[in-house]
Amino acid sequence: MVTYILRRLLWAALLVLVVSFVTFVIFYALPSADPAVLRAGARSGNQALLESIRDTLGLDEPWYVQYAQYMERLLFHFDFGFSYRTDAPVREQILDRIPATASLVLGAAAVWIAVGIPVGVVSATRRRSWIDRIAMGATLVAISAPVYWLGLVVLYLFADDIGRFPLFKGSGSYVPLTESPAGWFGSLLLPWLVLAATAAAFYARLLRGNLAGVLSEDYIRTARAKGLSERAVVWRHGVRSAITPVVTVLGLDIGILLGGAILTETVFNIPGVGRLAFSAIRGADLPMIQGTVLIGALFIILANLVVDVLYGFLDPRVRIG
Amino acid sequence: MSRHAWRVLALAVAALTGLAISACGGGGGRDEGGAIGTGAPVKGKKGGTLKALYANDLEHIDPGEAFYQPDYMMVFAVHRPLYSFEPTNLEVASPDLAAAPPKLSDGGRTVTVKLKPGVRYGPPVNRTATSADVKYAIERAFTAAVPNGYAPTYFGIVEGAPEPGRKKSTDIKGIETPDEETIVFRLSESSGAFVKALSLPITAPVPEDYAKRYDAETPSQYATHQAATGPYMIEAGKDGRITYEIGKRMTLVRNPNWRAATDFRPAYVDRIELTMGNEDTTVAARQILRGKGLINGDFPPDPPVIKDAVRRRKSQITFAPLGNRYIGLNTKVKPLDDLNVRKAIIAASDRNALRLTRGGPIVGDLATHFLAPGQPGFAEAGGTKGPNLDFIQNPDGSMALAADYMKKAGYASGRYTGSETLTMVGDDSGVGARTAEVFQSQLQKLGFKVDFRQVPHDTMFSKFCNVPEARVAVCPNVGWLPDFADGQAWFDPTFSGESIVPENNSNWAQLDVPAINEAIDEAKKITGQAERDEAWGKIDRMVMAQAPAVPWIWDNQANIASSDVQGAIARWNGQWDLSFTSIK
Repeated sequence: MVTYILRRLLWAALLVLVVSFVTFVIFYALPSADPAVLRAGARSGNQALLESIRDTLGLDEPWYVQYAQYMERLLFHFDFGFSYRTDAPVREQILDRIPATASLVLGAAAVWIAVGIPVGVVSATRRRSWIDRIAMGATLVAISAPVYWLGLVVLYLFADDIGRFPLFKGSGSYVPLTESPAGWFGSLLLPWLVLAATAAAFYARLLRGNLAGVLSEDYIRTARAKGLSERAVVWRHGVRSAITPVVTVLGLDIGILLGGAILTETVFNIPGVGRLAFSAIRGADLPMIQGTVLIGALFIILANLVVDVLYGFLDPRVRIG
Repeated sequence: MSRHAWRVLALAVAALTGLAISACGGGGGRDEGGAIGTGAPVKGKKGGTLKALYANDLEHIDPGEAFYQPDYMMVFAVHRPLYSFEPTNLEVASPDLAAAPPKLSDGGRTVTVKLKPGVRYGPPVNRTATSADVKYAIERAFTAAVPNGYAPTYFGIVEGAPEPGRKKSTDIKGIETPDEETIVFRLSESSGAFVKALSLPITAPVPEDYAKRYDAETPSQYATHQAATGPYMIEAGKDGRITYEIGKRMTLVRNPNWRAATDFRPAYVDRIELTMGNEDTTVAARQILRGKGLINGDFPPDPPVIKDAVRRRKSQITFAPLGNRYIGLNTKVKPLDDLNVRKAIIAASDRNALRLTRGGPIVGDLATHFLAPGQPGFAEAGGTKGPNLDFIQNPDGSMALAADYMKKAGYASGRYTGSETLTMVGDDSGVGARTAEVFQSQLQKLGFKVDFRQVPHDTMFSKFCNVPEARVAVCPNVGWLPDFADGQAWFDPTFSGESIVPENNSNWAQLDVPAINEAIDEAKKITGQAERDEAWGKIDRMVMAQAPAVPWIWDNQANIASSDVQGAIARWNGQWDLSFTSIK
């Protein structure tokens, strides 16, 4: 197991290197704004000033030299560089934003697991019943609703500042957990529900499909023949087997979202990694783009690793050698 | 059950959606009588907290680097340049750190400024600002650590001014400080704009003894340790470092060392909270209109919100005339190098249709030339009616007149029949994209083939429209907001052939007409206001006669505030003035 994890971590490091390289190439290959011009101000055509800014930011070097310098700083000093726009250290900025994103994503994940899995199980065990039809109809609506649209709708309905029914904290109300646990919980309720809606619906449908198939397997019939209660059959034998693909998707989803739930963070003005990445892309802030992309990639890779390890515990047929 | 259940579900979803949509559209208020807010400063109540919502982060908060409107909104509440504009005054800046208007001598080549005594820095510096601090503030703006976009433009004529981007700040010999309250600028030539440029934040004092250690780093870290001279300062932590959370929030509190007797700012509110990241500006605008103590920071409300506010919440919205918007026609690219072709394009332009893309008449008057209403030289340039040129007279466009000009250009059918394709680069989103699309169709009506590339706004400038080598024929999303109210700030960067540079070029038309260049050079030297107005008005008419662009709107920038805010607009900046705004 340890060897396996070490081997995966080595692959992860290589993958992060590849991601960083591709990001660099994309930044220079596509027509994006010129950071030196943005730094100088929109109207300064003074060449000496532009050259000095390029010199300061290292933009006067060929891209591959810039990349080598960047990687040298990153690998040997864990230094992500400085933002072109704000002069702030990138590492500090990202670390500062991770708690907000983690709060949003982990809370939403708890909601979508708590809702999606029971709904999936009930639907699978009561196929074609009215409960199943309502649940699957509702999941279809939730899957079809884009997060951005749904976020705006719930704000206009339920936010305490602009909503028709002012029940929840609205956009821009995020409070860090360390500042006020109650405020933190209240400010994230709506974002959790919005971010979780689509995922819960998707998980419910996924689990329903898998579980329906599993429940018709021979070993389930055997379990029932042995006299096990229906609950034990479904949860201990059925769900345990059917949930493996759900765990795979869960790992990926959490990994991807930890890299930035851009839309939800934007609608609810949550100062997370996603919004930081979005601003960086718009402002041609390469060090910040690199930093957020690398962190996002790292989360996805780690989440994948965790999922692979979990497989072994969930499904005895999968054992890591 | 099943069919019925689906129907019930569908109805429920439809009802929920309808409710949501009605909520989105509704301002929630009834039709309010009265007038639209003027934004004029009135005597307010002391105390309270004002909250400004920003969509994006501030760009630069160091007074040596600040350049954009949203930065100025904050910087002018925290710092005191030699001169600054009171909210309603566009033409003449009032003495701020200075004690009196500048004294010009030696034919305008020597400018002497006396400082007010007793203007003190806030913590942690806690001492009186001196003339040496102003000299240092200007010198540091020529260094690589404090890249300033306008320092070489306006302060490059000070004797001994270096090229920008120096590794270390150098002593500029042309800035003398004979005593702590006097600063003397010796210029290589007289300049009316230099006197006005003394109102830019580069002249706000920076204490060298304190700032040097932060300026030693590249980029300078003074921004996060800055010392205030204005009525407010950025709240600082115990370590002296300001508690500015980039991309999140900044709080301004009263500067304990500020003395009202030395300042024209009333500084009504006790505390100002700037919250960034309100990127959904429709949500933010509605929060402002329905909330308490809120104003908009860096974003103008979207057209639907403006219309709604004008209908239902008149007193909460105000409009500030600001800059202009025009469509640049590259005079160096065929067939736009033909004056008659350019005149034809302007004649065919439906400026009303272009204005509708931004929201219609409430967002600004139709432009007939470049200088905007209220700006010095506007009347001399022809006022609202314009310079009496036939091709800019019809706001809906005249295809007949356009055809006449096309015939004069050698196209017998009255339409373009040549082989050139016009490259047009415009915004890829927002109202700018809509403006560009409307103009594209207007060009096509005249027979032009258009290769329209849509890119992000910053990319449009820095990689295409601002780069002459890119040979972009039409830039549909450009416009100008001058550094200060003066013809030089309007025309020198935008229509002087001498201003054409290989990068970050703002002369989008690449207009290079010797007579206009000479007139601009001469006008720059004039120091009398009336003579300057006359000269720049004449230059406006000369430029318009060359048809280098389609001026289509003089912008009215909309600003909104909560009902309990007594807002005052800084006309020179087009945004709320934090030092003059109060809570009712």
